[in-house]
Amino acid sequence: AFVPVTPHILSLMPDFPTSTLNLKWSDNGSVFPYGLDVLWQIQILRKEAMEVVTQVTYYSKLTHEDVILSWSWTSDMPLECTSHYVKIRCYINATQFVGPKDWSDWSPSKVIPDTEPGESGVFPLDRVVAVGSDLVFCCVHEEDQHIKNMTYGSKSYTMMQLSRRSHAIRVLNASVSNTSGTNVVCRLENALEGSVVFVGYAPDIPQNLSCETPNFLIIKCTWKPGRPSGLYGERRTKYSLFERTSGKNVSCEVNEVNRDHVCGFPVLPDQKTYDFILGVSNPIGQAQSSLLVDITQRVHPKAPEKLTITGNNSTSIQLRWFINGSFAETRLLCQIEISSSHSETKLGKILPWDVRVGKPQFTWSNFCSMKLVWGDLSHWGSLMRSAFS
Amino acid sequence: MAAAESPSAALRRRDLCSRGIRLAGKMRADVVDLLDAYVEQQGLDASASVAAVEGVPLAAVERWDEQTGTQRLLENLAAYRAFRALLAQMLEEQREQLGEADAGLGRALAAVLLQVSAFAYHLEELLRLESRGIPGEEGDEEEDGPPPPPRLSLFEQKLRGLGVLRELAQWAVRSVRDLRQLAKPSPATGAASGLAESP
Repeated sequence: AFVPVTPHILSLMPDFPTSTLNLKWSDNGSVFPYGLDVLWQIQILRKEAMEVVTQVTYYSKLTHEDVILSWSWTSDMPLECTSHYVKIRCYINATQFVGPKDWSDWSPSKVIPDTEPGESGVFPLDRVVAVGSDLVFCCVHEEDQHIKNMTYGSKSYTMMQLSRRSHAIRVLNASVSNTSGTNVVCRLENALEGSVVFVGYAPDIPQNLSCETPNFLIIKCTWKPGRPSGLYGERRTKYSLFERTSGKNVSCEVNEVNRDHVCGFPVLPDQKTYDFILGVSNPIGQAQSSLLVDITQRVHPKAPEKLTITGNNSTSIQLRWFINGSFAETRLLCQIEISSSHSETKLGKILPWDVRVGKPQFTWSNFCSMKLVWGDLSHWGSLMRSAFS
Repeated sequence: MAAAESPSAALRRRDLCSRGIRLAGKMRADVVDLLDAYVEQQGLDASASVAAVEGVPLAAVERWDEQTGTQRLLENLAAYRAFRALLAQMLEEQREQLGEADAGLGRALAAVLLQVSAFAYHLEELLRLESRGIPGEEGDEEEDGPPPPPRLSLFEQKLRGLGVLRELAQWAVRSVRDLRQLAKPSPATGAASGLAESP
């Protein structure tokens, strides 16, 4: 029978933070003069009893050269919990060979030891996972150390023994954790071990993204964040505003608790149209929203300031006030509302007539809507309101 | 035989002691409240036994009766300086982990830190009264301050916080007893005989 040479694993590298095994092996393709289809079986085993956890079939094609093949596997259990073993074998579909064909022997198994001898604790350590995940936590301890129980939050779970120094619990459909995370506690005879897991949501796509400028100096974008992520502090959802035309990126300071979502972006010289992408991310996922806006059509100035009123006679007065901003090429239309003690209100529209550009502050003095209480000149009250058509 | 303390110094000492007793009492009440809030907020088991935490001064002391007044003050001062550093670290970790999520606990922690600092200063006042030099802070001599504490896992941080607050509450009780001891006139002469003598 045609039985291939037993394959050999070149490397087996664990990535503990992601509980992933990375396997590399050579296909010994140079031994065969012509390209052949090959099946590889990869077996993952666990615990001292080397129980088969999974067996996967992998396909490749020989190419007259030795090719290094690689394959990754993510465990449902932290790699620290127990030893993991990997072995492979192959079957070559040598069509030209008419006799019986069979699988090679299994390769010698490669082992990933769990934790260092003497190391103990609960794993995974301080992980962030999505709501609804099924989780496995293990408690690694000394061999002779009696384990009393393992709790997730305030609930005790049935333990599975993985080895003489490792027990595990399985938590299904995890719900969102509180602000300081959910504690996973392992009570041993004379010790307490634990870990914290943060269960939250990936960010929603931001809704109602809109941007406007009060002063042609800064653009203010607001949006509705959607469902809270349930993650705080260094795991909180972070926002950034990217403008495609200029390539400029701004990270936004958002207060996750009182949930006012505003981000400021500088008005750029000689740029009217802004192609914004609002990026949202947290350790569980990311999302984005985009908006194309002509900022000259999105002007919402603040109320005017520093109103001064001078009256040179009893029937005419001069008003002066400031709107902070850079309105160089903008045509401002202002409104005055005048009401006397007989509460008769007249609405007058006044075009700007006193325009001064002061370098470098770019302060403008301009007319805007004023509600004045007409009476004795010495008692002027003013309510400032700005309105633009 | 130590020189007898002047009446004004004795009066000043008793005043500082009684104010210190009130400060320690208030601090203890606030620490107990903070402890309850901390246990709940961190999802801990209030009855969890916490092994002695490295760097946390233990309030329990052997042969408490035999301590001199100066020993009492110096041990108290060293303890509250240690708690000041530990609470500042807890506050920093709290901000890092929770951001604005639980500002209430952060404010309560900051308030207790303030009281601990004030109490440490109060102890220094008592030592100055006795013209005792104020010992330098630990790490003053080292150029770049004390070595950074080992990086703990989040659960270890939570347990350490529990241990710190529990021990601080015990210290507040001990401080009240120590200060009452210091406030007593010396039995032998009937007059206050300074801190060195008074057990």
